[in-house]
Amino acid sequence: MTIVLGIFEQGLIYAIMALGVYITYKILDFPDLTVDGSFPLGAALTALLITNGWDPFLCLLLSFLAGLLAGAITGLIHVKCHVRDLLSGIITMTALYSVNLHIAGSSNVPIFNMNTVFSNPLVNSIFPAEMSAYVPIILLFLLVLLCKILMDLYLKTKSGFLLRAVGDNNMLVTTLAKDSGSVKILGLALANGLVALAGGVMCQYQHFFQVSMGTGTIVIGLASVIIGTNLFKNVSFLKATTTVLIGSILYKACVAIAISCGLDPTDMNLVSAILFLAILVLGRLGGKKKVKLHD
Amino acid sequence: MKKATALTLVLLMALALFAGCGAPAENSASPSSSAAQESQSAAKDSYTVAIAQYAQHGSLDNCREGFIDGLKQAGFEEGKNLTIEYKNAQADGGLNNQIASALAGTNPDLICAIATPMAQACYNAAGKANIPVIYTAVNDPVAAMLAGEDKMPTGNVTGTSDKLPVEEQLKTIRAILPEAKTIGILYTTSEVNSESCIAEYQALAPEYGFEIVTSGVNSTTEIPMAVDALLPKVDCLSNLTDNTVVSSLALILDKANAQNIPVFGSEIEQVKLGCVAAEGLDYFKLGQQTGAMAAKVLKGETTADQMAYEVIEGSSLYVNSEAMAKLGLTLPESLKDRVQEAAA
Repeated sequence: MTIVLGIFEQGLIYAIMALGVYITYKILDFPDLTVDGSFPLGAALTALLITNGWDPFLCLLLSFLAGLLAGAITGLIHVKCHVRDLLSGIITMTALYSVNLHIAGSSNVPIFNMNTVFSNPLVNSIFPAEMSAYVPIILLFLLVLLCKILMDLYLKTKSGFLLRAVGDNNMLVTTLAKDSGSVKILGLALANGLVALAGGVMCQYQHFFQVSMGTGTIVIGLASVIIGTNLFKNVSFLKATTTVLIGSILYKACVAIAISCGLDPTDMNLVSAILFLAILVLGRLGGKKKVKLHD
Repeated sequence: MKKATALTLVLLMALALFAGCGAPAENSASPSSSAAQESQSAAKDSYTVAIAQYAQHGSLDNCREGFIDGLKQAGFEEGKNLTIEYKNAQADGGLNNQIASALAGTNPDLICAIATPMAQACYNAAGKANIPVIYTAVNDPVAAMLAGEDKMPTGNVTGTSDKLPVEEQLKTIRAILPEAKTIGILYTTSEVNSESCIAEYQALAPEYGFEIVTSGVNSTTEIPMAVDALLPKVDCLSNLTDNTVVSSLALILDKANAQNIPVFGSEIEQVKLGCVAAEGLDYFKLGQQTGAMAAKVLKGETTADQMAYEVIEGSSLYVNSEAMAKLGLTLPESLKDRVQEAAA
């Protein structure tokens, strides 16, 4: 039971991050590596603020804003300095490592026994003590649902349509007399805002910040997006954002099952990579066939 | 057709997992949760202990082996009345939580967490199920919030600290190098253990007439430049138990020896590699001490939240006389009676 709870809790936290990766990878078609830095950025800021007694919910909002800024920087580097997409992400990610260390003040900041979104006077007064084991999952579910609904609503606005247009057909945006550059910057900012928000939640969930906690975030994010969107692409009643959430939980479940089965963690990255490649290749094959059918 | 693709994907994922299952980790007896429950109902004639290790590293491996030996000395022998499940996160911060919650999910009698980030992750995961956590190789349990200022645990978690004998290290360096003024220390910015150790070095150095010059790196690739920049400023180097720096020790020794600058270490493995001397702890012994603490919890003599964390008593001095001779150093009489030769 603990394992199942753990899968859903961590899957839901990473789902928020995966929603961000969905914006860059699927909507903008921008391979954004900033996430490996913006995920711990949210965590570092959260750890600092919580240690200083700030409200844990406010910390999450500020984490989101910090991520927004980090994403905007990647966007500015790419659009204004004409640096390639992959490189601009790498530049920001590299810089963020130092920034994160400065914000947190140390490479490891524990926040045990402090108020978090999962345990504070307000939450404890709403939920009875015997339900405490299920508080994280309930709160996370609500938070993820909120993020998803807000994102769905945003994508239906004029700005959201432009965002989707930039990824699909850059020229169209230009012919509409809109600056595709600023739309890209906005998209990257929003995406990294979500990623940093997830980092802030993760920090409060695991009760500590560790500067290396962002390593491999992009892999988890891409895996979640690819698993979700490929597995459920023909299920028309599920929105793409919903499939990403399910993808994130499925990915975490795969990892947990693999560990429980006795997979040597040494081989973990190799197995992940193979799984990753297979899904990409198969997804592509499926896509090609789809095009042929329509012809 | 589309359905077939989706089906293939699902099959493939299952296959990838199955392939993983075919290669169980060494030392892992992979007990299922049902086995753990059986052991509990069987009136405690068999126990399950989960070991979660942060990284693969000589000292940490010694800790783990010492821990298993400590349990054995107290009557808990693997294969007889003890099942051990061992997982290693290979220094992957994301995998840490996953391993901690997976191990807590098998409901073992006790979790042994090796190194700070793993201790924090296990405490977090096991706290919900109230499984006792015994940690080792945590440099500063107070800073890691695993214990209060009075050394008593903050929850159902206790263990041993691998705090370096900084004062003894300074004494030894002073005895071997009476003329030296500056000590250089390389460290990794991501390792909190090194930070607290350097703070102690800086606090104590003036008492022994030393000045500390530090250089922080973010990754292994930055070490060559950092060493080149540091060497002209120092009379000797002191090497902590910083994982990234230790893994590049051969290179550091090469560069330092070329300029006739001695390098001191913090454990026996480093002296074997070519450090002139090391005032350090025996990680195997530290593991044994941790195993003895775990045995008390398993026997029900006490609980983890009632035991203060422990540090190992006394440090050992290891020297590499070959390396010393190369640099024209001699061992002072005052150290000769307690020295152990560790040349490879």
